[in-house]
Amino acid sequence: MNSLWWWALPVLILPILWHRQKREQTTAVPLATARFLPASSPVQLRVWRWQDLFLLLLRCLLLATLVAWLADPVLPWRGDSVLVVPGTEPAFVDKQLRDVGLKEARRIDLPNRDAYRWLHEHEREFDPQARLLLVGDVAMPAVLPRLLHAVTLRPLASAPAASEHHVAVYGRRVEEWRRLFAALEGPQRYVLDGQAGANTELLIWDTPQAPPPGLRAPLWWIADATAFPELAKAPQVDGLHYLDTPRGRLWSAAWLPPQDAAAARILFETWQRLHAGTTPYTAPAQAPLVDARALAGPSGGALRNALSIALLVLFALERMVTHVRRR
Amino acid sequence: MSVLASAALAAHTGKLDLAIRHVLAGLGHGIHAGRERGAGVEFSEYRAYAPGDEWRRVDWKLMARADRYSGRAAARDSHVAVWLVLDATASMLEPSRSVEGLDKLGMARLLLGCAGAIAQRQGDAFGLLICQDERAHFTPAARGPRQLQRVLAQLDRVDAAGTLPAGEVLRASLHFARAPSVICVASDFLDWPSPLSEAMLRLRGMRHDVRALCLQTEAEIAADFDTATAWRDPEGDNRLFRFGREARAGYARRRDEHFDMVARQCRAHDIPYVAAPIERAPGETLRAWLRKPGGRP
Repeated sequence: MNSLWWWALPVLILPILWHRQKREQTTAVPLATARFLPASSPVQLRVWRWQDLFLLLLRCLLLATLVAWLADPVLPWRGDSVLVVPGTEPAFVDKQLRDVGLKEARRIDLPNRDAYRWLHEHEREFDPQARLLLVGDVAMPAVLPRLLHAVTLRPLASAPAASEHHVAVYGRRVEEWRRLFAALEGPQRYVLDGQAGANTELLIWDTPQAPPPGLRAPLWWIADATAFPELAKAPQVDGLHYLDTPRGRLWSAAWLPPQDAAAARILFETWQRLHAGTTPYTAPAQAPLVDARALAGPSGGALRNALSIALLVLFALERMVTHVRRR
Repeated sequence: MSVLASAALAAHTGKLDLAIRHVLAGLGHGIHAGRERGAGVEFSEYRAYAPGDEWRRVDWKLMARADRYSGRAAARDSHVAVWLVLDATASMLEPSRSVEGLDKLGMARLLLGCAGAIAQRQGDAFGLLICQDERAHFTPAARGPRQLQRVLAQLDRVDAAGTLPAGEVLRASLHFARAPSVICVASDFLDWPSPLSEAMLRLRGMRHDVRALCLQTEAEIAADFDTATAWRDPEGDNRLFRFGREARAGYARRRDEHFDMVARQCRAHDIPYVAAPIERAPGETLRAWLRKPGGRP
């Protein structure tokens, strides 16, 4: 879409036309009976010679830079590359490089697992003949991506990184809650605190007393809704009432804390899905479709800063030269 | 010979006397009724032969004796003097837009030369007055082939420039007007009233036979000029004029008004006025110009 702006380049004709020299028409042919004609004013003729060439150059450059800024060109400056998902072992990367034969390839560390999104956005930066190798725990896309370049994918499923999550428990059945969180499997480790802090992700309220006004958390599990009468009228899904309040989102159910494994799993998975997000699968070793007509990704913006500065400088120069010329 | 070819031929003939001879050959004799007929009624004197003299007037016996050509000059006073008045102002340089090399001055020169030649043939005295660049060049009236040579040389030399002389200058030059004269004025009459027109009316008032020839071009008559070109008045300042579509009607109207006024004034003063395009064959124009007023066409 941006490249359509290149069609605006003919606008450069305008200053070229405006800078043509004006010359008064002085060649007049004698006509004896001209006295019978009404006098006409001298006509200003424009001749194909230019005045103020420096100013003309500045204006043309200014317009060309503006068009380039709008068109946001992306120069294909990247050659053969290996794209490495964070957390991939260097030994695996080296082995894949040797296998594929891309020893001279430039290594690019991706910001996250979503390698195909990054590639789609930056694909115009790659040379058309560039070979790409994608290594690591690449997130599996929903559909097979269509790309301009052939990409070799060498996936390596890696264990999810261990993480620590803080849960604050207020109330009587602390041991029950502790058992519930201890029974959870996975790399996440849940730390139960007596008081809510800045990094508290879940607050469990299991007491009839009203919470202090300043207490806030992203999610509240309310086992005893005595202090929250508004929850009685809140919408519910499968007996779980939910309500968004200034202190955070409230979940409340009569069966909290869950008494059986199935209820605990449903509660935990719902929490994880809605608040922590899902973890994508590792993409299988499949080759993305190569399609020369695939749409390039959104703007590259690689040259936008340089072009902006050039635009500013040219504009200032143009104004100054115009001002000097008028004086 | 077609009309155009004749005008073009006149334009392209470098020698004025050749062109005059060509025109007069087509015209024949008898344009103007001379008061006396014959080359010489009464012998007056011998004089040296001059180019243009008729061979039959050479005295061959004298040539045999003196070894040089001598002619018998007839003492024959015509009562009519012919004055050729040429307007050689800058506007007379107006060229024909259809015939290459033809302009008003060239045609006026040729027609006046023809008038002079006719006068010389008929034995009339003739003189020349050239109005050019605010001055009047005066050649006194005389008779004979030498005078014709002189007049033709003057006509050949003249170059159009400037504007008409002032009224006083012209009046001083026209002091001849005592004997009855025929005064042939060739001009474009774009300036009217002008010192020239005043002089013509005054001479007519003194009962001279004044004949006005107004030279025009076909492009002027048809009001057909290039619209892209900028024009200027050769006798005016450096103002520019354009020939747009809307200017054309105004041009034709103003031009017609002007020449209607000129013709009306000439008629009122009984001056034969002939307006002729320079592209017309010079013989026809000459015939129209010099024919007897009210006589056969």
